[in-house]
Amino acid sequence: MAEETKNIIDADLDEAVEVEVEKERFLTFHSDELTFAVNTKYVIEILTNHAITTLPMVPDYIKGIINMRGQIIPIVDIRSRLGKMPIDYGDNNCIIVLEIDSISLGILVDSVSQVVDSELSKISPVPVNKQQELVNGMISLDANNVVLLLDCEQLVNEQMMM
Amino acid sequence: MDNGTDSMLDMYLFETNSLMEQLDELLIEAEKVEEFSTDDVNEIFRIMHTIKGSSAMMEFGSLNQIAHHIEDLFFYIRENGMDAIAPELKKSLFNLMFKSTDMLRSEIEKVENNEPLLENVDNIVGEINSFLNKISDAKDTSPASQPETAATPETPSVAELNMELAHCPDDDAPFFIKLLFEEGCGMENLRAFMLITSMQDLNIDFRFYPVDIETNSDTCQDIVDHGFFLAVDQEEHIEKMIHVITDASHIQSYEVIENARLKKEEAAAEPQTQQPEAPAQTAEVSAASDSANESAPAKPAANARAHSGPVKQSLISVNLSKLDALVAIVGEIVITESMVTSSPDIQGLKLDNFMKSTRQLRKLTKDLQDIAMSLRMVPVSGVFQKMNRIVRDMKQKLNKDVRLTIIGEDTEVDKSIVDNIGDPIMHIVRNSMDHGVEDSPEERIAAGKDPQAEIILSATHTGSEVIIKVEDDGRGMDPQAILAKAARNGLLTKPESEYTKKEILSLLLLPGFSTNEEVTEYSGRGVGMDVVKRNVESVGGTVTISSELGQGSCTTLKIPLTMAIVDGMEIAVGNSIFTVPIANIRQSIKVSNEDVVYDAEGNEIVKCLDEFYPIIRVHQLYNIDTEITSIEDGILIWVEASDTSYCLFVDELLGEQQVVVKPLPSYLNSFNIKNSGISGCTIMGDGNISIILDILKLYEMAQY
Repeated sequence: MAEETKNIIDADLDEAVEVEVEKERFLTFHSDELTFAVNTKYVIEILTNHAITTLPMVPDYIKGIINMRGQIIPIVDIRSRLGKMPIDYGDNNCIIVLEIDSISLGILVDSVSQVVDSELSKISPVPVNKQQELVNGMISLDANNVVLLLDCEQLVNEQMMM
Repeated sequence: MDNGTDSMLDMYLFETNSLMEQLDELLIEAEKVEEFSTDDVNEIFRIMHTIKGSSAMMEFGSLNQIAHHIEDLFFYIRENGMDAIAPELKKSLFNLMFKSTDMLRSEIEKVENNEPLLENVDNIVGEINSFLNKISDAKDTSPASQPETAATPETPSVAELNMELAHCPDDDAPFFIKLLFEEGCGMENLRAFMLITSMQDLNIDFRFYPVDIETNSDTCQDIVDHGFFLAVDQEEHIEKMIHVITDASHIQSYEVIENARLKKEEAAAEPQTQQPEAPAQTAEVSAASDSANESAPAKPAANARAHSGPVKQSLISVNLSKLDALVAIVGEIVITESMVTSSPDIQGLKLDNFMKSTRQLRKLTKDLQDIAMSLRMVPVSGVFQKMNRIVRDMKQKLNKDVRLTIIGEDTEVDKSIVDNIGDPIMHIVRNSMDHGVEDSPEERIAAGKDPQAEIILSATHTGSEVIIKVEDDGRGMDPQAILAKAARNGLLTKPESEYTKKEILSLLLLPGFSTNEEVTEYSGRGVGMDVVKRNVESVGGTVTISSELGQGSCTTLKIPLTMAIVDGMEIAVGNSIFTVPIANIRQSIKVSNEDVVYDAEGNEIVKCLDEFYPIIRVHQLYNIDTEITSIEDGILIWVEASDTSYCLFVDELLGEQQVVVKPLPSYLNSFNIKNSGISGCTIMGDGNISIILDILKLYEMAQY
């Protein structure tokens, strides 16, 4: 009897230990047939159908600025930024507002998907000869699903690029 | 716990720094007249006393000690008057004071930067003490109460005192106070009489000798020779009388003598000497300091304020972050207020009472806004007065005769600007002194100038800007030398002959520029003017230099006043809305096609009031789609910004709006937006964003 209880307790302990493995949460979104993920610690809010004011004299991928409750946030079109064909979202746009190193920034995406938990161990680096802009990792969500991890630091550290 | 110590430290730093500034101003003013007035001396004493106390509480040993010794020095000076110091020593006194305050300041800086303080301040303390000895020795040659008296062997001292007592009147009082007035102060009998009168207020029974001071002027000589005596019956009264004596002026010394005829002990058990270090006097010092130190060191701010000159009003110190929060909220209120009054829900409705109330609301909001903005405004005098010190130090080091004239120091500017321009102005003043002013008065006289050079520091308002000028009447700048140096350093972007004088002078603002052959302590490293330019531009201002060879130079800083709230005119170009600051708008003009002429390069220009100005088409510049492309369909706005003047072509004017300027997000800084004519943005009543145009930068960008 005591043996059995001990076994059960041991099993429970094992499980408990398992749960404590580091998990991070990611928000997945789509942009031009690709699925990306961004760590939720950077995500402030998701806005839809928000009016964007265009700014003159900025690169194409800077769509403009928005007014979010009195704060001015610049918007980056992910499609343009990655060199893909931009599409005119019209009034149906989807913006994910991020805050990275106290810099506020919004990214314009096709659509948002869901929030997933993933263990850090499931994140693999991108193969060296296939380096891409703004991507610094690949996450295997489950067997068939791999998403690209958005490199937020690179996103905000635009130093006179283009 | 940490919060407590932090705020105590903040308070200490704030208060000590303000006291140091006060002290500096005082020293400079006093040095100009080469004299410390009694008020000055008292104030310095108080300041040092406060610093001593609060430094002791914060356990800053070095500061405590230095302040303590200066306090002792000034106690002596207070007791004995500035006349006690020989004129040649006065100059060294000033230098000593400046040196000590510099030491104090550097220690305070160490506190601010969390660095360890000096363990050993013996050298400065030694200097102060030796100076003190010098001035008190000079006084010790006077006949009365010499410390040697105590040193001489018993019998003669008793005998000597007996002799003195022989002059001592025949009185059975157990104690005498013997007073000596300052040599040559004159009218000793009347002074003694005044002293008596004030003593009588104490309601103490005492006698005085000579008795007939009121009536007999020969008693003057008596008092000078033998001293003035007060006979006191009770020991407790002595202290009170001593108080009165110390308050009186022109008293060189006083002595309490026990009547040896009554008690055959060695009299003068405690001859009070002039040396402040003597223990008896230190008892006096502590008595005085106790009464002076009513408030604990924790609250000397009130003291400092109360004692400072009549010019300062009662002030309260507020945390800057609170002020920022207040200004931000007031800004939001302005926006929300216009959102309410221009709400689409009430458009077209006839609401008289409502409109009346909104007008009232608008007026109040405007007032609130004005006051909130003015909270952050401080006069530039703080910065300007610091320049006094710099000029003084450099005068001595470079051996040049210069006077600094300050104009308009009451001009008020936003605090963040004041903090920012301090260093630039300091640098420019140093430049003027180092390079601008000629090396010798002979050079100046040969050039037909006054041998004393002048540097004028002035600040004025022009409605939307503050203009700060540093002018000197020195030797001016040589454009050829500048051009040559720039060429050597590879800084030229076009052939030398194409540079106008203005452009040449602005070469000075480039990094890595210096016409100096060698690096001095003050300048020559070529890192100065470009830092100045950057500092000034970071608050939205501009730097220009003008100069006449042989006559002098002038550096002008133009800084926009309030950055946060701007009266603007909304204009539409295509689907975008822009705001042009009203201060920049001169006129709006509707023109027909015939009024537009073309210059040699095919640019459009138009005539306004007898002069021609270029037209800049906003839709072209910014690549905005709009249907209005013909000059006749849109409208021209004649705008001006510092020296540039031109016409902007836009679709239509939408109306005047008072807007709260929001800076562009920092993310966009790397795209050089500021240089493309956009100074910020604002949120309009309906929630849309309007971009605010920088008229000057826009023009510059249009040139390329």
